[in-house]
Amino acid sequence: MQHGIKRINLSEEAKRAKLEKDKAKIVEYKQLSEKVFSLRDDEVYSFDALKYTSVLLKMNPEFYTIWNYRRDILTNLKYEQEPDNDYAWWLSYDLGFLMSLLKKFPKVYWIWNHRSWCLFELVKLGKVNWQYEFGVVSKLLELDSRNFHGWQYRRFVVENIELESTKKAAPTNKSDESSVLLEIDINEFKYTTEKISKNISNFSAWHNRSKLIPKIYHLFQALDSPNEKYPEVFEIFKSPQSILNHELELIKTGMYMDADDTSVWLYLYWLLTEKLFIDDLNKSKKGRYLSLLKEELHIVEELNKLEKDDHVENWDNCWCLKTIVLIKGLIEKEEKGATNPRDLLTNDIKNHLRTLIKIDPLRKGKYLDQLEGKASIIPTI
Amino acid sequence: MTDTEVEILPLLREKHINYIIEQDSHRSYEYWLSEHLRMNGLYWGVTALLIMKSLDESLPRSEVIDFVFSCWDSKAGGFGAFPRHDAHLLSTLSALQILKIYDTELTILGSEKREQVVAFVKGLQLPSGCFQGDRFGEVDTRFVYNGLSSLSLLDELTPEIVDPAVKFIMECQNFDGSFGMLPGAESHAAQVFTCVGALAIADKLHLIEDDTKLGSWLSERQVLPSGGFNGRPEKLPDVCYSWWVLSSLSILNKKHWVDLEKLEAFILTCQDSKDGGIGDRPDNQTDIYHTCFGLAGLSLIDHEKYNFTEIDPVYCMPTEVTKTFKKWKS
Repeated sequence: MQHGIKRINLSEEAKRAKLEKDKAKIVEYKQLSEKVFSLRDDEVYSFDALKYTSVLLKMNPEFYTIWNYRRDILTNLKYEQEPDNDYAWWLSYDLGFLMSLLKKFPKVYWIWNHRSWCLFELVKLGKVNWQYEFGVVSKLLELDSRNFHGWQYRRFVVENIELESTKKAAPTNKSDESSVLLEIDINEFKYTTEKISKNISNFSAWHNRSKLIPKIYHLFQALDSPNEKYPEVFEIFKSPQSILNHELELIKTGMYMDADDTSVWLYLYWLLTEKLFIDDLNKSKKGRYLSLLKEELHIVEELNKLEKDDHVENWDNCWCLKTIVLIKGLIEKEEKGATNPRDLLTNDIKNHLRTLIKIDPLRKGKYLDQLEGKASIIPTI
Repeated sequence: MTDTEVEILPLLREKHINYIIEQDSHRSYEYWLSEHLRMNGLYWGVTALLIMKSLDESLPRSEVIDFVFSCWDSKAGGFGAFPRHDAHLLSTLSALQILKIYDTELTILGSEKREQVVAFVKGLQLPSGCFQGDRFGEVDTRFVYNGLSSLSLLDELTPEIVDPAVKFIMECQNFDGSFGMLPGAESHAAQVFTCVGALAIADKLHLIEDDTKLGSWLSERQVLPSGGFNGRPEKLPDVCYSWWVLSSLSILNKKHWVDLEKLEAFILTCQDSKDGGIGDRPDNQTDIYHTCFGLAGLSLIDHEKYNFTEIDPVYCMPTEVTKTFKKWKS
């Protein structure tokens, strides 16, 4: 699978020349593969065999069968012959080896897979260093802040740091346990803030934030005296409403920075429809959710006005208008308690949908379905 | 952004057929490095040729089947990607798909191998409902799809397998309505296909059917000016998402939520007009993976126009093959 590599059409002659040039490499690769396969078939689990797999995997880190063999070698080696280089030592050696590969091939599943395997083996030995892993993944996300594997690995490491920390602290009650976890998750929350302030379009960071917020809120709730340890953060997290206000303020900046950025709008949709926030708003005062929706509608309409003024033909901004439809739909639902998609469609909303067909023609079919009440304009779950 | 005329380049059918046939003849260094993908590559090649209705005259049936069986890993009881490579769920599904194309009853497998491969796939399901790719524990919604699809091809699904798998998939759904590789992971269009496809196989689409959120998220993957699909917000378009996104929309009966003509134009601009094949973006290196999913996308857009075989969005196999499957009813 080739991604993002410019095409070069080789002439027959150039192909032959390349093949000629590659010949030695091909022979070396095939001979080495053959050698490693026969060692594997003979169930040889030796330090020499391990070295051969290193050379081969450096040539081809996607060779999953060789990673499998390497794991079998590592688990079957007779370490007593090398007292200083025991199993844990070799597993840690592999982590270094993997790091050099990841720098070159950050998107190869098999490398990430072998890394987690090594770590779980180290867990079994009680010799894992999750903090080091944390440093590794932070460095890799510096290089590519949207790397899918990197973010997943970060969540994996954090999960394990949480497990380890609660085990170490051996909390005797729920409050102590929450306190241990809070520190970790607050740092993760701050990390997403940092990534977002560097690049507002980093949806990976927004996504992680949406997972962390409910978690941190519930952890604070479980503390005996929640405002003591992290008073500043607690200011944000003291209630779902305060979180919502904080996040809406943050997102407002993003909306004004780039009204065409998908990430910011998707996150806003979450804020406006998440049960945690809605329930809290309505609990505090009847109609509070409704007035918040109206406030947000006003903000987006103001932004849309500015965007319209900037457009040569005075068009609405696409994302502003999509959001206006969503918020107006939510308002209709709140005011009328409508459950049928058709009942949400006021003439005003219908006009917006018709405008969207003009300014966002790619998704014309969706807007037509919505106009006909075949699809809802607000999320149904 | 008005409805402008879209220029649609011609499909280079003959060149693509040749490109696929030639895959095995230019044995460069890179060719040898890609052995670990050969079974999948063969499935992509066979599927691409089938879509263009030229499988039988282009690839000798016996050679294809012989290759598949040469990758049988008798120790694990599954198929590897290449002779002597270890069995893996990814290559096992590809092998079963290829065999199923030639022999819908899979009698060719023989009862012993059949039993072993069923045990191999079933044995990879974990208590969480997820499947691991092999005995070393990598988990991902890709493997849930692989597991359910393989067992569906073998007609071996049971509630004990389906129910926990479905539960796991639903844990991977995010606030944007879309799905990630694991619970908590960011939404990604290719994972959406694996999750929606698995739910379709499990006959559990009602769990997401009312949700316009997922349909909207998928339709937002189409970007301008190219008209191609990206895999996540604020990323570049790539031909392979023509399949991952459009198949998912197709399963949800929402193919009309995107501009099919613009997508068609994008896929066709990614063709290599000299040597055939399709790349991820215009002027980029071609490969068999993007060639297959580009053509599969075109088949979903309008198979009649291209005189293509109709493709089943759930299995990524011709509907004439999948209609013979005994479908699971929950």
